[in-house]
Amino acid sequence: MITHLKNGKLYDPAHNKDGVVEDIYIFQGRIIPKPLDSEKISQTYDLTGKIVMAGAIDMHSHIGGGKVNIARMMLPEFQLKEQQETKNYTEPEAHICTPNCSHNATPSSTDAGFRYIEMGYTAAFEPAILPINARQAHLEMGDTPMIDKGGYAMLGNDDYFLRLLSNKADQKAINDYVAWTLHATQAIGIKVVNPGGISAFKFNQRKLDLDENNVHYQVTPRDILKSLSTAVQQLGIAKPLHVHCNNLGTPGNFQTTLDTMGASEGVPMHLTHIQFHSYGTEGDKKFSSAAAQIAESINKNKHITTDVGQILFGQTVTASGDNMVQFLNAKHANPKKSVIMDIECDAGCGVVPFKYKDKNYVNALQWAIGLELFLSVEDPWRIFLTTDHPNGAPFTSYPHLIRLLMDKSFRNDAFSKLNLDAQAMSNLTSLNREYSLYEIAIMTRAGAAKLIGLNDRGHLGVGAGADITVYTEQADHEAMFAKPDYVFKDGELVVKDGKVVKVVWGATHTAKPAFDIGVEKGLKSYFEQYHTIQMDNFKIANDELTEDGRGRIIVHNNTHQKEQS
Amino acid sequence: MTKPMISPASTATCPACGLLCDDINLSQLNNNTCAKSIAFFGQKSVNASPQIAGKPVTLAQAIAKAAEILKKSKQPLLSGLSTDVTGFRAVFDLAQKTHGSLKHMNAASAQRNLNVLQSTGWQTTTLTEVKNRADVIVCIGTDVVSHNPRFFERNVDCDGMFISAKNRQLIFVGNAPNNDHIKSNALKASWVLPCRADDFPSATGALRALVQNKPLNTPNIGGISLADLTTLADKLKQAKYAVMVWIAKDLDFKFADLTIQNITQTVAALNETTRAGGLALGGSDGDTSANYANTWLSGYALNDSEATHDAVVYINSFSPSKAAPKTNLPLIVLGNCNLQFADQIPDVFIPIATPGLDCSGTLFRVDSSVVLPLKKLHENELPLLADVAKQIEALL
Repeated sequence: MITHLKNGKLYDPAHNKDGVVEDIYIFQGRIIPKPLDSEKISQTYDLTGKIVMAGAIDMHSHIGGGKVNIARMMLPEFQLKEQQETKNYTEPEAHICTPNCSHNATPSSTDAGFRYIEMGYTAAFEPAILPINARQAHLEMGDTPMIDKGGYAMLGNDDYFLRLLSNKADQKAINDYVAWTLHATQAIGIKVVNPGGISAFKFNQRKLDLDENNVHYQVTPRDILKSLSTAVQQLGIAKPLHVHCNNLGTPGNFQTTLDTMGASEGVPMHLTHIQFHSYGTEGDKKFSSAAAQIAESINKNKHITTDVGQILFGQTVTASGDNMVQFLNAKHANPKKSVIMDIECDAGCGVVPFKYKDKNYVNALQWAIGLELFLSVEDPWRIFLTTDHPNGAPFTSYPHLIRLLMDKSFRNDAFSKLNLDAQAMSNLTSLNREYSLYEIAIMTRAGAAKLIGLNDRGHLGVGAGADITVYTEQADHEAMFAKPDYVFKDGELVVKDGKVVKVVWGATHTAKPAFDIGVEKGLKSYFEQYHTIQMDNFKIANDELTEDGRGRIIVHNNTHQKEQS
Repeated sequence: MTKPMISPASTATCPACGLLCDDINLSQLNNNTCAKSIAFFGQKSVNASPQIAGKPVTLAQAIAKAAEILKKSKQPLLSGLSTDVTGFRAVFDLAQKTHGSLKHMNAASAQRNLNVLQSTGWQTTTLTEVKNRADVIVCIGTDVVSHNPRFFERNVDCDGMFISAKNRQLIFVGNAPNNDHIKSNALKASWVLPCRADDFPSATGALRALVQNKPLNTPNIGGISLADLTTLADKLKQAKYAVMVWIAKDLDFKFADLTIQNITQTVAALNETTRAGGLALGGSDGDTSANYANTWLSGYALNDSEATHDAVVYINSFSPSKAAPKTNLPLIVLGNCNLQFADQIPDVFIPIATPGLDCSGTLFRVDSSVVLPLKKLHENELPLLADVAKQIEALL
């Protein structure tokens, strides 16, 4: 059964196609070459005048794992009954919404999948899986329909790693532990959050600079970054170390961020939600934009990639592993409540509801700083479109954000309504850049797939998984990106006119580099002595993700991938 | 009738309380220090027959009868909910299909914690942090071991990475606890501040005030002398990592949530200068699992409200001694094969497999960050709750 997408205008940066009119053929979930005339075409979609892109990939969105579930639990006011669109769950083919449908910061797992696919996103990656909590992350993602998913396992604040590092373990021992963690947690990448800082907070340190020692382990964030980024590189996993820098949100933190870029000594690193790490101390309010310095440094440092973590105005909730910082942010909680946790000598978490206001100086400037970064980082292959869902804004605001990037007058109109002092401190209106459709396709498709190592996603070439989104071109790009005409997931039509027409379940993407199983000797005795569960129960078996018949595991490495089922 | 599946060398995970101890050696069950665990693993898995009104029927007949009852029902109550994540997912789907409401058997005590979470939030810790860091452990209104028999053995009466057992201080506010499980003499000599349940609100309120450095001006509060409360507050403030433990089920009085909030706000005040964490213990019958899974599936936490209903489905995989609450409405029981029916013969009874015994499963630990697999220990013919629920749903 061959599906023919005819005459679409393709934006496929992986193949340098910038609005080229071409046909696409799909067979058994994949894009195939033009079939022989003798082969039967079962279905043809005339896409004349339509825009065709690969399915979008969100490389950083908190869709699974404990933190957002705590937020859901703590914040019943986010899901007021009157905001719900009651629909019949048992016939999802007929509807887009579930009974508890939400368009807010903490959608249910079902709604998260629906909201993503309705915008043409076909994959999302949970960026902060605590290894000890990975089973919950996969349970939640397993209940998230429509899209592919995966996650990054957090290391660098766990006592096992910090003991290795402070005992001057060799790089091979670190590499084995990192690889073992990827296997045990079924993750595709490694993240470090406030390197060493979450651990330091447990020893009552309240801040940690890049070259400051963790009081107990006498190692610095710089040591941690060097060790983990090297491990990731030497293991050959595609996704560079995902770094949430020290000093998030602190005025003047841009210097830490600039210095962090050098910490890996040229080894690739991804600095995430960089908007929250680009703050200066200039002006009367001692809070200013350092976007220009950060962007300039990113432009120079080719080993660095980044995503923005744009804030947008309104109610949301911040959910982070960085409990050192979230403990301080709890004083600004709105509504006034928060959860701060130390977790299992593994990591921590902090969940703080927050309302970004356009008349607030700091919030308005945060908004501008994010956009300044988007417009000043030159290479769209090295910067990604995120709101750090839900921390900066819910992911459902992506179409609005895309319009801000593509439409200068729309952006400047929005800017002119902000807090006046913030306007005076931003150069946003002097930035004339408008993103093109091609650049948006890089940021949200080709670049994201390349970064994570999803070789058969994010592009429209022969052999790619047929995750495809079709839009009608409109002057209002927010309207355009909010409601695709069609979305195909693995070749099946799943969204028509912005509404889900078929419920499907995506795969889980993982990386499982080879390692020396001897690493388990030290781990086993560590678990027996210090943990409260056994090592074998820490590890997540493939069956746990697949036995319900919905899940699939795809294992990636740099050169090939294979499917485990 | 049942044959063992687990190799003698491996260990089982125990769902009998919220701790989920995963070091259970089944070949040496007699060495187990926990009566709850011995009782759980000592259950005989009989291949009990499904019943309609007390009479044996086939599984298909029982499922058809259950579906018939639910078809007539406009809004059933799905209660008990003693199951694991897999079972709960299927029960959630059944509730969606039947417009049913969901209520766990531990809802009343869970609601006390939820009220605090939804009002101010809290600052908490988990078992491995307690084991490796806690130097002062204060248990308020609970002996802990009645609910979680091995809590002290596994997490306090042992040396951690940053603290040894002999350097910990264990303090109880309430009744003198049963110390049988504690080996270390230092911990056995734990300090007890006797306090009646009626006095917990004022005693915890005073402790909170003292930790917040607010002067109090009364010789004793809730039967505890100001000097003792001040000493307690000082010990907490001087601790490197204090842990304050409560069990919502033991705080069973009106407005107990405000007492819990006194505890959690004491922790918050401590964290201004040193480190501390709250720890809500207890938990069993899959309560944490049902609550967490319901929260991600629906966007809401499970709560203690009870919607108007016209039929009851009672689900109880784990605890044969916990019978369905008496009701005049049609009653369907999906439960443990040893479940007894003293008060009321259900309209339909379908014996189901118990996760961790008759089938594998997945369960959240009481401190909520750790999720563990449960093992299938032997072959038998008991159906899975998820399969039964799906088959009922298919007939609706």
